[in-house]
Amino acid sequence: MSTAVKRLRIHLALISLSFLAIACGGGGSTPPTPPPSGKFSNASLSGQYAFSMTGTEQCAGEGSIFTRAGTFTADGNGNITTGLEDVNVCPGTATLQFTGGKYSISGDGRGELQLTNSTGTTNYNIALSSNSAGMIIQTDPAATASGSLQRQNSSAFTNAAISGGYVFDFNGLDVDGSNVNPASYIGRFNADGAGGIVDGLYDSNIGGALSGQQLFPGGAFYSLDTNGNGTSYGRGTAIIAGRACAFYVVDSTRLKFLSTDFPSALAGDAYAQQNIAFTSASVNGSYAFLIGGSSSSGPITTGGRFTADGSGNILNVVLDKNDSGNVTLLPAGTVTGSYTVDDNQLGGGTVTWTDSTVGTFSFIFYLISPTKAVFQEVDSNIVSDGTYSAQTTTPIAAASMAGDYTLGWSGIASAEEDYVGQLTLTSSGAAAGLVDFNVFANGQQWLSVPLSGTLTLDGDGTQANTFVATLQSNSSPLHFTAYVVDQNTVLLVGTDNDIVIAGPLARQP
Amino acid sequence: MNIKIRIMIGLALLLPLTIAAQNPQAQPRSAHVSARAAAYETIKEVIVVGTVVTCSENSTSRPNGVHAIVQTPTGKIDVHLGPSSYLRANHFSLASGDSVRFVGAMSSLKTGGVLLARIAQKGGQALAIRSPQGFLLAGGASRTLPEAQRAQSVQNGSAR
Repeated sequence: MSTAVKRLRIHLALISLSFLAIACGGGGSTPPTPPPSGKFSNASLSGQYAFSMTGTEQCAGEGSIFTRAGTFTADGNGNITTGLEDVNVCPGTATLQFTGGKYSISGDGRGELQLTNSTGTTNYNIALSSNSAGMIIQTDPAATASGSLQRQNSSAFTNAAISGGYVFDFNGLDVDGSNVNPASYIGRFNADGAGGIVDGLYDSNIGGALSGQQLFPGGAFYSLDTNGNGTSYGRGTAIIAGRACAFYVVDSTRLKFLSTDFPSALAGDAYAQQNIAFTSASVNGSYAFLIGGSSSSGPITTGGRFTADGSGNILNVVLDKNDSGNVTLLPAGTVTGSYTVDDNQLGGGTVTWTDSTVGTFSFIFYLISPTKAVFQEVDSNIVSDGTYSAQTTTPIAAASMAGDYTLGWSGIASAEEDYVGQLTLTSSGAAAGLVDFNVFANGQQWLSVPLSGTLTLDGDGTQANTFVATLQSNSSPLHFTAYVVDQNTVLLVGTDNDIVIAGPLARQP
Repeated sequence: MNIKIRIMIGLALLLPLTIAAQNPQAQPRSAHVSARAAAYETIKEVIVVGTVVTCSENSTSRPNGVHAIVQTPTGKIDVHLGPSSYLRANHFSLASGDSVRFVGAMSSLKTGGVLLARIAQKGGQALAIRSPQGFLLAGGASRTLPEAQRAQSVQNGSAR
């Protein structure tokens, strides 16, 4: 069934001929690929799943950010039986009921998904890392997006289930009159189990303007819908850090948010925060990070690793920054750094390091736990955020990385490109798999494109490794620096000059 | 362990949480914000007037995007204009010999200096390329257009 097929669906009404004139890649000539065999099938996608994504759509003749978050129910047999989503798109915001849809899952965990609502059908490709989670991209000619999906636990579809501390990371676009800027909000709050929010704190970065840590403005709340959408779909509304949002409950430890304050568009997740008093000792060990966003040059992504000594000092910083094709590697000179954890013990803090050659990098974080945090860069003219995670203390060897992985990458060349796929790493680091991707610049979707590559570990594997991926559709390979979190997760940051791309590899069972 | 000791230990364990709950004040952040070489510094904005020598959508210069080489009275300047799709959507094009005026800020890269254009002007046509803060408007500016213009846009046929 899955052959290497270039799915070309050009809507000439939407995509100018000038796009086609600069279209790269020819495609259509890749040889047939055997159907992947493996552990997954349509039965793997069964039950109720929450999803969220951010991407680029056609809007008044040009590419523009949009967000969507929602839920669908898969019957395990290729059919979507019900669902609901919120969209923040070019025409505005809407809450739309899914009236149907279908899907198919290959043995390697990749799949196609169609969701139908009153406005029509949208297309997606997914890659399952397990039966309960995966990565998702939208694959329509006039819209591409990337995000994630997780199986929902309907027992958490109550206000009471949303209780305790949560750390959040929202990013996207802020529109204030005619002033349009990239935006990032990170912070934390306590949900009281009855719709109330207390101890809300956030740091925003809107077009490089830093709020500093702020208390939530008055009016913060969360509430599962009372019209049936709450109990049926886990949908609710909230005001977080002063932004009006819709949200979908994954379970009591994770919520997926989308701002509804059009024309602004923010999206992101909130994670249950470990209930401890955070101190400097809470940041102790080695961490890998991956963040992305915008700079005054254009798209930017930074990946790397650092060590915190538990006493305020940062050591052993290694990173790759790709700022619209300008690639910077650290260390370039001597790097010194420090960090602080907020005196209020609610998990906020700062990290700064200075490379004697390149300059200073400054960040804000909010700890989800001592092993994970949301992470926001706060340097001039940079709006970029993501997460950091504790690195394994076990040395990494190629043999220990062998196995099956999903991939989910998002990049910008001349416009956004989104990738999902599956690959197998051998004990020698050789990679082979299949990738599905959407190229917004020319409105082309590529399915089941063979990938070959190599993961080359450096030293004990906890530093900057390399991953090279060659897609059969592309004339030149993608080069990444690979930061290993552990034997299950690798963070990839692209180091090519002609595309800013990043994303993870996540082990399959 | 007697009950009194257990209560004392329990209180001791709760103390940090109590402090946290009672002290939700915002934490003052350092005013320090670093600016690395490629940053757009608004206070260093300049006006550049000249003639287009070349304009390339596929320049190998960085940052990625459209680059125009502009001859000015003091020499040639490399001007970055962002994604070509944004210029096309706004019916803005440059060709050799065009008289142009840019407002922007010089940025130093490893490969040399480049003017990050905030406003590009050719004849009577002026196009905002970047926000006043220096970020590219491509990717979001169309959301500020009147509803009638936005309503013409769709993602997949009429699907959203």
